[in-house]
Amino acid sequence: MNGENKIKAPLNPFQPEPARIVRTYPLTDDVKFFQIRIVDMNKALSFQYQTGQFAMISVLGAGEAPFSISSTPSRPGLLEFCIRKAGTVTNALFQMKENDLIGLRGPYGNTFPVKKMKGKDIMIVMGGLGAAPLRSVLLYLLDNRDQFGRVMLLHGAKRPTEMLLREEFFSLKEREDLECYLTVDEDDTGEWPEDVGLVTQLFKKLGTINPENTFSLVCGPPIMYKFVLEEILKLDIPKDQILMTLERRMKCGVGKCGHCAIDYIYTCLDGPVFTYWDVIHMRELI
Amino acid sequence: MNKDKLKIGIYELTGCAGCALLITDCEMELIDIFNAADIQSFLMVKSDNIDGELDIALVEGSVTTEKEIEELKDIRERAKVVVAFGLCASVGGIQARFGNKEWKENYKKIYGDIEMTHTRAVQSKPIDAYIDVDLYLPGCPVGKEQFLHFFTRVLKGSPPEKYPRPVCVTCKYNENDCLLNKGIPCLGPLTADGCGSICPNYNLPCTGCWGPVEGANPYSEFFLLKEKGFDIEAIKKLMSNYAGTKLAEFFEQFRKESK
Amino acid sequence: MKIVKLKKSNLFLFLEIISKEADLWAPVKKSPDKHIFEVIEDFSKINLDYTRTILPPKKIMLPANFNMFRASSTEYTPDFSHVNKKIIFGIHPCDIHALVTMDKFYSHEYNDPYYQRARDNTLILGHSCWPDEYCLCKSTHTHVVEEGYDLFFTDLEDTYVVWIGSSRGDDLIRLKPELFDEDLTDKDIQKFSKRREERDKAFAKDINFEAMPDLMELKYQSPLWDKLGEACLACGSCSNVCPTCNCYNVEDKPILGKNCSNISRCWDSCTLENYSGVAGGENFREKRSDRLKLFYTHKLQSYISKYGKPACVGCGRCIVTCPVDINVYTVSKSLDGEEVDTFWNRLSKEVTK
Repeated sequence: MNGENKIKAPLNPFQPEPARIVRTYPLTDDVKFFQIRIVDMNKALSFQYQTGQFAMISVLGAGEAPFSISSTPSRPGLLEFCIRKAGTVTNALFQMKENDLIGLRGPYGNTFPVKKMKGKDIMIVMGGLGAAPLRSVLLYLLDNRDQFGRVMLLHGAKRPTEMLLREEFFSLKEREDLECYLTVDEDDTGEWPEDVGLVTQLFKKLGTINPENTFSLVCGPPIMYKFVLEEILKLDIPKDQILMTLERRMKCGVGKCGHCAIDYIYTCLDGPVFTYWDVIHMRELI
Repeated sequence: MNKDKLKIGIYELTGCAGCALLITDCEMELIDIFNAADIQSFLMVKSDNIDGELDIALVEGSVTTEKEIEELKDIRERAKVVVAFGLCASVGGIQARFGNKEWKENYKKIYGDIEMTHTRAVQSKPIDAYIDVDLYLPGCPVGKEQFLHFFTRVLKGSPPEKYPRPVCVTCKYNENDCLLNKGIPCLGPLTADGCGSICPNYNLPCTGCWGPVEGANPYSEFFLLKEKGFDIEAIKKLMSNYAGTKLAEFFEQFRKESK
Repeated sequence: MKIVKLKKSNLFLFLEIISKEADLWAPVKKSPDKHIFEVIEDFSKINLDYTRTILPPKKIMLPANFNMFRASSTEYTPDFSHVNKKIIFGIHPCDIHALVTMDKFYSHEYNDPYYQRARDNTLILGHSCWPDEYCLCKSTHTHVVEEGYDLFFTDLEDTYVVWIGSSRGDDLIRLKPELFDEDLTDKDIQKFSKRREERDKAFAKDINFEAMPDLMELKYQSPLWDKLGEACLACGSCSNVCPTCNCYNVEDKPILGKNCSNISRCWDSCTLENYSGVAGGENFREKRSDRLKLFYTHKLQSYISKYGKPACVGCGRCIVTCPVDINVYTVSKSLDGEEVDTFWNRLSKEVTK
C-alpha cells in the first residue's frame, strides 16, 4: 500500500512476443533443433539472457511450455532450442516449419554462476537431452575461453543416433583447449569412433582433478544423476560446486501458477539451476 | 469439398444417440462446424454419406452386435484418429453394467433360444475392447462446451492435454455445500468433471454419469459412505451404471496407487 | 488512524451512495448454513450474520475461469474484462489478511497484472465477526486487522465504529460526511473494548502455530502423511476454498473457424493427481501423501520465511469443507502429537485391521 513495490519489468509478464522459426531440423528421431528470432527487432535485442535460463514457448491452438535455452548469450540475436517431442506443445512445434510464428517470453529462472566459475576448472557431464541446457554454458565457456581453467566435457547417449548435436561435438573434439569425451551405451551402427560404455567410465580419462578448484555441471535423465553424482563426490568436489538443472511442470515461469513448487521454493524463480547441497537439503528435488 | 479440411466421420453404435444429438444441438456453432471440417459421414444429419478414408472418426455408443464389431474395425482401418465419443464408447455405458455370466442369463430370459438372423448380439463393451482408441471424450451426453473445445483442438491437430479432475472441482466453483458432509451419498469425488456439477447445483447427489475419474480414491469414499450408514454394495451398483466394464480396472488402479 | 461512527439505520443509505459507480459485493444467505459473496442489487439481501462464505473473496479478484489473452499468431492481446470497479462489503479480518498475503505473493519478483488491476479497482470494507467453533484466526494472529482495508466496520449494537484505513476509504466518507459522527464517547470506547475482550474469549479451538514450521520439517517422514494420503479424496476442495491458495492452470482455447484462441486461466489444486505431471508422462507427485505434504508445507511453513506471515489465516473453511477431516486443525494437532478423532484416523485403523 505504501509506495510502489520494486517490480521487474515487463508490464504483463505473461504476454508472449511473436517470434519466427528461422531454422529447424531433426537432431534425432524425437529431438529437433529450433532457431528462433523475436519478430520485433527492439524486443529481440532486449531479450538478454544468461546461461542456464529458460523461455516459455507457445504455439497457437496448442498451449505453452518451458524450454531451456541452448544458445549462448555470447552470440546474440538468435535463440536456439533442442526440443524433444513429448507432449501437446512439442507435438505442435514439430509440425511447424521454417518461417512459422510462435509465441516466446522470458528469459526466466536463475543462471549458472559464471562469475564465480571464473578462473576455475569446469567439468560438464551431460546425458541425452541434458545437452540442451548445458550446450549454452559450454559455448559460453569456449567463447570466453581465456577466463577459465580446464574445460572438460563428458557426453553420453544411448546410441550413436541418439546423441544430440553429434557433428557439433565431433568438431569440438578438434579443439585443443577442450577435453571432450563422447560415449554411447551401445553402438548399434558399428561405426562409432568413440568410447562405448556408460558416461561414468569417462571420469578416469580426466587425470588428476583439483576438487577445490573445480565446478561440475550435470544434466541428464534422472537415472544418470545417481551414478554420475557418485563419481563426482568421489573426486571430493564441494557440494556447492556441483550444479544441476532440473525440469518441472510450469504454466507461468514467473512464480505464480505454483506447479513447479518444491517445498518453499519455485523452480522457475529459484531454479532451474541448483547445487548438490540444495538437492540434498530440499526434500523433493530429485 | 475443400482439400485442406480434415475429413471427419461421426458414427453411432449402440446407445441413446444423445452424444451425436448434442452436436446438432450446437445450433450457434453448427455452420462453423461444417465449415471447419469436411464431414464425410454423419447419419443423423445428412444422407450423402461416404465411407472413405478419414482423418478423424468420432464413434458414439458401445459395441453390442457382431455386425458392429465389423463396422468398428472398418472405421479403424479408414481413420487416422479414432475418438471414443461419449461414455458408452469410452467405458461401455449402462448397457455394459453386467458381467458376462449375468449378461448371458439376461439374454436368455428375454430372447430365449431364438436364432438371430440379421446379426448376433454380443455382451456390450466399450470400443477399445475391439480396436485401438486414440482419444477419449466421456460424458453422458458429452457437454457442449467440452465438445466444442475438444473438437476445435482436434481440428488444430492438438487434442487437449489430459488433466483429469473430479466433479468436486466445478462443484466448488459453483459454491455448493458438500453433499457428503450433509450425509448424502454423492459420487462427485469419483466422477470425471465436465457436466458443470449440474446435479449438486440442485442439491442432488452426483450419480457418476461422466464415468470414473483417474486419480480418485474409491476406497476412502466407500468407507466414508459406510460410516454414514450406506450399503456399499448398493453404491458400487450405482457406480456400475456408468463405469461399465472399467469399474474393476478403476478399483485396481487404486490398489496400485496406495502402495 | 481516523475513526468515526455510523448509525446502523444509515448503512444502506451509505452503501447506496458509494456503490453508484461500482459493483457492490456482499455476503448473501443462500440456505440456513450457506453464505456466498454476490453482487448486490437489493440491499436487503445483504446478510452480515455469517461466519464464513463457501468461497473466499479471492474469487472476486480472480474468477475461477477467465481469459488472459485473445491471441492470434501475430498478436497476444491482454484481456482484462474481469476487471471493473468493485466494492467488497462485509469481509472479515481473516479474509482481509488473506488478501494482504495475496498482494505480497502476486507482486513477488514479477507483478501479476490480472490480480493487481483487479485489486487496485476494488475497495475493501471490512466487518467485525464473531468466532464459531472452527475459527482459528486467533492462533494465526489474523483475528484483527491493521492494514489491507479501506474502511472497517465494527458492530456495536445500534452503531458501527468505522476505522478509516486508507485515503480512498476517507474519500468514501466524504461523499456523505453528515452520516458520520466524529465524536466517539467514552461509553463507545468501553463498549468496543468489552466486545473485543469477550470475542477473544469466544474462540473454541486453537493450534500452536508457532511450532508448525519446525514440526513440518521434523515430521516430514512421519507415517501421519500416509494416513492422510490414504483418506484424501484428491477432490481439490481444500485449495478451492482456501483464501490464500493461488495455483492455476492455463489452457489454449481455439475459436472454431477462426485462426485465434482465448488463452484461459483456471484455478488449479496441488491435490489433483496430474498437478506435478510433466510432458512425457513423468509425475513428480504421484502419491496423494506427497501432494498433501506440498499443500501443508505451503500453509504451515513456507510463507512465513518468505512473506513474514503464514499462508493460513485461520478462516476454518478447510475444516468445514473436507469430507474426510483433512484440514489445518487436524493436521496441526497431529503434528503436535495429539490424537484427534478424525475420519482419516478411523480409516487407517480399518486398514491395519
